[in-house]
Amino acid sequence: MGSPKWAFPFRWRQLFRIRPWFFLIGVLGVIRLSKGAGLLDAFAYITGPLSPGSAQREWIQKGVQLENRIRLELLAEDNQRLREILDLTKSSDAGLISAAVISRQPVGWWQQLDLGKGRIHGIKNGDVVLGPGGLLGIIQSVTPTTSRVRLLTAPGSRIGVWTSRNKRHGILMGMGSNRPSLRFLDKDSDVVPGDVVSTSPASTLMPPNVPVGVVQVVNTAALPAPIAVVQLTASPEAIDWVQIWPR
Amino acid sequence: MASLMAKLYEKSFCLLSGLVVPFLTLLAPSWLTVSGVGPCWAVLWLLPWAIEDGQISALLAGLCLGLLLDGISLGTATHVPALMALGWWWGGLGRRGKQIEGIFSLGLLSWIGTVLFGISLWLQMALMQIIESGQLLISWGVYTLFSQALITSILAPVIYFSLIAIWRRKSAFNA
Repeated sequence: MGSPKWAFPFRWRQLFRIRPWFFLIGVLGVIRLSKGAGLLDAFAYITGPLSPGSAQREWIQKGVQLENRIRLELLAEDNQRLREILDLTKSSDAGLISAAVISRQPVGWWQQLDLGKGRIHGIKNGDVVLGPGGLLGIIQSVTPTTSRVRLLTAPGSRIGVWTSRNKRHGILMGMGSNRPSLRFLDKDSDVVPGDVVSTSPASTLMPPNVPVGVVQVVNTAALPAPIAVVQLTASPEAIDWVQIWPR
Repeated sequence: MASLMAKLYEKSFCLLSGLVVPFLTLLAPSWLTVSGVGPCWAVLWLLPWAIEDGQISALLAGLCLGLLLDGISLGTATHVPALMALGWWWGGLGRRGKQIEGIFSLGLLSWIGTVLFGISLWLQMALMQIIESGQLLISWGVYTLFSQALITSILAPVIYFSLIAIWRRKSAFNA
């Protein structure tokens, strides 16, 4: 008969033999009390490569973009419907004529673009030319298959615009330089640099709400009304295709 | 009249080279510019023509070029008076022959010519703008004027000698 393992006279030595178990239990107890300290950190460290990272951020951004685009389309449709109710000029893309730029002289004595479509394609004098970035200019002369655009920067170019933030109307006048000047109609224009300049939503000559530029400098001391310098958003130096909005 | 027609026919090739001017003006190669402003191709063509062909011919060539350029440019300001005056002046210089066929004098002639051409255009536009809005467009005028004069005068000797060489070879071939 061998003596049992846990024989009565308790021996400290035996307790000493199972000390790794005590250590383990102690550690687990600390984890338990701290609600998972260490364990979760280790888990996070190990599964780090698998956790949602940059890829997921891109998915979410794509989703947000898609949502914004859908919302924009819905708003545009809504806007269209409301404009029809109010009997205002429509701002839809239908009826726009696309044309290639065949000659480009954005700097120099003449600031003009020549387009590869003309009268037989339905373009008339005074039609509005839009490009990526917003309004580019007005059709100034037409031949059967070409047309010439007076850019907004050209001397003698003048169109009516407004600042959408505070709804002040003004005339955008080409000065030859890169930045046309905006002459306001009211003395109290309350315009600050950074205001967005666009075509007026009530205009009948222009497509409504087309971005034109951003106010850079305002001279409030000018008489009879303030004059602002506008940085245009569309850059004719780099545009190959434009769209013509027939009136 | 018949002799004039015959003369024009003889020179038809040289005159046809003038058609390149509106095409180059429309093409406006963006790599050949000084701060965005291209050379004045009309001045570049008219200088050798005037020196080679005399006063009356250059005056008429100036008129033709001016009408062509008016046709392809925006607005109501006209190129005709400046180009006719330049043709008349350079045609008169042409009698002195060799004295002005130097790189420096050609550059200077074309520089002065481009400045005069630019001033005539700028004055017309500034006057119209003053009537419309009371502003004079000075900074833009000076900028365009001197950029164009610089690039034109740099190119002038090169264009002058190549055009003269082509025309002389052509007329020798015809004769």
